[in-house]
Amino acid sequence: MAAADSHSSALRRRDLCSRAIRLAGKMRADVVDLLDTYVERQGLDASASVAAVEGVPLAAVERWDEQTSTQRLLENLAAYRAFRALLAQMLEEQREQLGEADAGLGRALAAVLLQVSAFTYHLEELLRLESRGIPGEEEEEEEEDGPPPPPRLSIFEQKLRGLGVLRELAQWAVRSARDLRQLAKPSAASGTAPGLAESP
Amino acid sequence: LGTPQNLKCITHNLHKMICTWDVSSRGRHGQTDFCYTTNDLTPQVCFKTKERRVEIPVPESSSTVTIKSSGTAFATKEFIIHQKDISFFPVTPHILSLTPDFSTSTLNLKWSDNGSVFPYGLDALWQIQILRKETMEEVTKVTYYSKLTHEDLILSWSWSSDMPLECTSHYVKLRCYINATQFVGPKDWSDWSPAEVIPGKDTEPGGSGVFPLDTVVAVGSDMTFCCVHEEDQHITNMTYGSKPYKMIQLSSRSHAIRVLNASASDTSGTNVVCHLKNGMDGTVVFVGYAPDIPQNLSCETSNFLIIKCTWKPGRPSGLYGERRTKYSLFDRMSGKNVSCEVNEMNRDRACGFPVLPDQKTYDFILGVSNAIGQAQSSLLVDITQRVHPKTPEKLTVTGNNSTSIQIRWFINGSFAGIRLLCQIEVSGGHSERKLHNVSMPGGKSSTYTAQVNALRPYTKYQFRVRCSAADHFWKWSDWSRGMEQATAEA
Repeated sequence: MAAADSHSSALRRRDLCSRAIRLAGKMRADVVDLLDTYVERQGLDASASVAAVEGVPLAAVERWDEQTSTQRLLENLAAYRAFRALLAQMLEEQREQLGEADAGLGRALAAVLLQVSAFTYHLEELLRLESRGIPGEEEEEEEEDGPPPPPRLSIFEQKLRGLGVLRELAQWAVRSARDLRQLAKPSAASGTAPGLAESP
Repeated sequence: LGTPQNLKCITHNLHKMICTWDVSSRGRHGQTDFCYTTNDLTPQVCFKTKERRVEIPVPESSSTVTIKSSGTAFATKEFIIHQKDISFFPVTPHILSLTPDFSTSTLNLKWSDNGSVFPYGLDALWQIQILRKETMEEVTKVTYYSKLTHEDLILSWSWSSDMPLECTSHYVKLRCYINATQFVGPKDWSDWSPAEVIPGKDTEPGGSGVFPLDTVVAVGSDMTFCCVHEEDQHITNMTYGSKPYKMIQLSSRSHAIRVLNASASDTSGTNVVCHLKNGMDGTVVFVGYAPDIPQNLSCETSNFLIIKCTWKPGRPSGLYGERRTKYSLFDRMSGKNVSCEVNEMNRDRACGFPVLPDQKTYDFILGVSNAIGQAQSSLLVDITQRVHPKTPEKLTVTGNNSTSIQIRWFINGSFAGIRLLCQIEVSGGHSERKLHNVSMPGGKSSTYTAQVNALRPYTKYQFRVRCSAADHFWKWSDWSRGMEQATAEA
């Protein structure tokens, strides 16, 4: 009976991974489109280098191939929860600053936020399959004794932060797809770091 | 030997003068006997002093002064001081306060006119000098006029800088000239007051930023933006929109650009970016228009619950979100004010105002404002003469007999105070479309009934109805949906 359960769990896991990989690809494409629109509508320079923005999780990771499945999932989950909050804030600021004037940008932002939320749900499901407890958002906040309310940024700083958020999200979408492919492998189901079968 | 000489007298207040003198060489400094009389033959006043400086009254025309210095030998010298020889310049004025308003780049200056020491009614001129930058370059020198009232008045004056106060330090100095026409001696400006300073961000350790921060200005404005950076930073260029501008150095940590005749910005504002060696900073300016005077203001009610006012906004302001143009509707009769939720993107503008109990006439002021300006339109209206009922609903037609029908309909709204005029359109029956007018007292969200006679038996007709105010026609409601009904056989 246990064998049957693990087989269905592996099937469920592979299904979740493949759906999440597709979503990550779609999200990547939409974020790249949104980036172009955002840069143009905010009057920014596409080549502008933006310093690391506080609170935006960095997609770059060292020793990617040594990560366990659980580490991958937990890092992805933390990142997309952060992006969900950041995109919601961007949407709020966009309404505040532009109101109805740029509904198109607002809709595109809302669409990406929806995708990030959906992707977060997939990650939580995968973690449940790992019979891992899902760090509640409040726990995460309590661990870091709650994020201090973000300082009120100037409008230009808001624009730059938005640029930084979207750029990093686009990178994360790529990394997540790779993480999920790694998770989809049977070896990954044992929870140990996979062999050096594939490096990023 | 030690003879008093070079007696000079000045006055700061026209009634006391300070006289100073020196003694010819090799005179040892000892006690001096000082005596004076003024020309109005008051008795001579004498006193001893160790100083070569005394304060004595200003004479109406002249004073005789005798100075006996008791140095190595007694040397006495007599002087006649005429008013015309006495120089008058006011005491150096004292700045009470210099307060910056960073949001408007305004300096607010307060000082005392020291009027209590002068006779009533004298004209005073004040020169205010504004200096800027590390090099304290003069930006402007302004003359301010006031009248002395024999009391110490606090005078105040404001100056708006063409550059944000954060950009670099601003200094203010002040001096005074009193036009004492009765005084015949030479008159001159006071000394300049010590400079009061409003330090710029470029003097703050770690101070940095691009200024002004997130402002709203009118199209056509000339503006100065500055980039304040930290000591170890190096600025490469500054752009407005995407165009680089020639930089003006204000200090070692502050550079500025001057933008003339700014054009309207995009919805997200115009970025002003300061490109630094490693990184960038910036601000956003929103360049738009003051609101136009609202055109074609018109108000009506469809239900005697809400008055709906509409207007044409005129030229778009180009400002959105939290900077959008705000609208409010104020009724002078009741003193009630309503702020309107208006979508800047819609061409048509509308605002709802509650119908107030027992009030027919409204004296509306539609106020329109944004950060650049404001405008208003007004309208006096009797809402019983501006009734535009909603579309009649729930139309039912029942056949009475072969030549008449009864038609019923419902109108949302409370028209109890007026009479309604409704039109029933009858078409079909192989005859032209006919309109039947019926009038009835209005009700409160009521159903209304009418009868249509003179129809052909056993014939199919289409009916629809619309209504308006009977006594003061304003607008018809839209037509109701049509209803088909056949008359009974004869």
